[in-house]
Amino acid sequence: MNWWDDALHRATAEVVLAGALAGLVGVQVVLRRLSFFTMALTHATFPGVVAASIIGVNILLGGVVAGGIVALGVAALTRRRGQDASAATGVLLSAGFALGAALVATQSGFSRDLSSFLVGSILTVGPQDLVTTAVALAVVAIVLLVSARPLHLIGFDRAGAEAAGVPAARWDLVLLLTIEVVVVTMVPAVGTILAVSLIVAPAAAARLWSDRLLIITPLSVAFAVGSGLAGLWISSRWNVAAGASISLAATAILAVSYLAVGARKLPARRRPPLAAAT
Amino acid sequence: MIEPLTTALAVPPALPFAAPFTESLAALFTEPFTALFTEPFAVPFMARALAEIALLALICGPVSVFVFVRRLSFTSDALTHTVFPGVVVGFLAGQLFAGALVAAIVTAVALTLLTAGGRVSDDAATAVLLTAMFSIGVVLVSRRSSYTSDLTTFLFGRLLTVTPRQIAETAALAAVVLIALAVGARALLFRAFDPAGAAAAGFRIGWLDLWLNLIVALVVVAAVRAVGTILVVALLIIPAAAARMITDRLAVMAVAGTVLVAGAGYAGLLASWTASLHYGVALTSASSVVLLLVAAYLLLIPVRHLRRRRATPWERHVAHEVLTPTPRPVLEPSPPPSPLPAPSPRGRSDRQELRS
Repeated sequence: MNWWDDALHRATAEVVLAGALAGLVGVQVVLRRLSFFTMALTHATFPGVVAASIIGVNILLGGVVAGGIVALGVAALTRRRGQDASAATGVLLSAGFALGAALVATQSGFSRDLSSFLVGSILTVGPQDLVTTAVALAVVAIVLLVSARPLHLIGFDRAGAEAAGVPAARWDLVLLLTIEVVVVTMVPAVGTILAVSLIVAPAAAARLWSDRLLIITPLSVAFAVGSGLAGLWISSRWNVAAGASISLAATAILAVSYLAVGARKLPARRRPPLAAAT
Repeated sequence: MIEPLTTALAVPPALPFAAPFTESLAALFTEPFTALFTEPFAVPFMARALAEIALLALICGPVSVFVFVRRLSFTSDALTHTVFPGVVVGFLAGQLFAGALVAAIVTAVALTLLTAGGRVSDDAATAVLLTAMFSIGVVLVSRRSSYTSDLTTFLFGRLLTVTPRQIAETAALAAVVLIALAVGARALLFRAFDPAGAAAAGFRIGWLDLWLNLIVALVVVAAVRAVGTILVVALLIIPAAAARMITDRLAVMAVAGTVLVAGAGYAGLLASWTASLHYGVALTSASSVVLLLVAAYLLLIPVRHLRRRRATPWERHVAHEVLTPTPRPVLEPSPPPSPLPAPSPRGRSDRQELRS
């Protein structure tokens, strides 16, 4: 019997791949404060996925198209002055989800699809999903490696980067589309809630431990893969939903890091002015 | 969780005289055209759904203005998800309403504390709290058998099976929300537009943030069971964002938001009724209301564009434009001159910045 024939083995492989993917892109999401955008993407790719499955084309294609529209929409809306990015993202989020829900409601077998979309069904990933995730991991790793310098520069000093001639808007779009690829790859396999959780929580935890990107990135990948494996083990041990237990494991890592780092350097309370207003 | 449609239809209307009254009202408009717009709401469950939407419109207009100026879209989204475990626990204990209320208040407090902490950026903290609380809800629900249908109910609500009791609960919470908002409005606005000034004037920023988060939480509790999470998020974000396109004045924004929600609610219910009854398309009422709100937002974007080009320089300095922390490159080439004779505010500000 092939090792890949066991559902739990496939799930383990998927968790490792998805964890690496999420950990890599999560660093950028946390540094650039794009959590809400990620959340909106997970909801907004929903109508694309549903429409693709109704028409009968590849689900990933539908997700990529819908996610691309949202990424471009957010980029366009936020570039215009006076438009509130957070409100625009919220509008896109509810629009996408309502559209997807309306499309799903016209089909039968409604609620099952929806809940697997939300919390995922990592125990049913097939070889196809594994290959897709692996390819996405390779592509995202290469893109992030190539664009590491400009993204780094824009992330910490946007005005300086623009003055130095870096086309910030174009690199922003590259970043948004990279996040989109990650979300679209992860959501069909692991669900929206888990995707957001695996992208944000490990990177936020890694950020607490270090100020250096070279340390944060591997740490974030390790946390994501670790929480995935721990969650999977908890899920198979106590028979709870796998997506939920993985996301709780990721949260636990963040909580432990928060307390541990807080105990280690208590006086280091940096608080930029107007932090609450942004 | 909530009774199926057939039993809900058997529930007698709250007011005994309401049915004959609406019937006679429908009979008044004997023309087929007007009947098309009033007839669906002569049915008790449609009238109740409309009443629920109208109540929500009343609170969502003003509250969404604060959500907009404080940029709390993500917080609202998070609150709608974090109420979920409370709903589950409340359902198991037989106190659904209390469960949702407790979960919402816990989230509001936790969000305020986490975002004030500053060590984890506030959007990351919100995202993690959202996913964690939702996962707890899923874990609790996944131990039960009728898992997927419960989740669906929570997401979409059952707008058409709203009971008179739920309407009464919503009305009570709406009164609480409006009073809380009226009490805190001035301080909350001060804090939104000038946090440093408000702190210097002696306001406790942390308590004000908690106050607003609690108000949003109460709106979520009031609405989530009847209309589901998707619709609540839309009701909290879109009205003010759309109203912002047509006005700079906050009071006008609140009223316009309320009108928008009420209009979209009415039209959405009508569309879903017509589509399901006459065309055999299953269009869920919550989705159609949200999609209409989004359509209104998109339609109003050009209005804003036109208004901005005509705006006087004075109007540019509405407070939350000043607050907008857009890092604006100083060396940006100035945009093409406006075809209008009046000096364009954009070109003017560019010139000023270039000079400085």
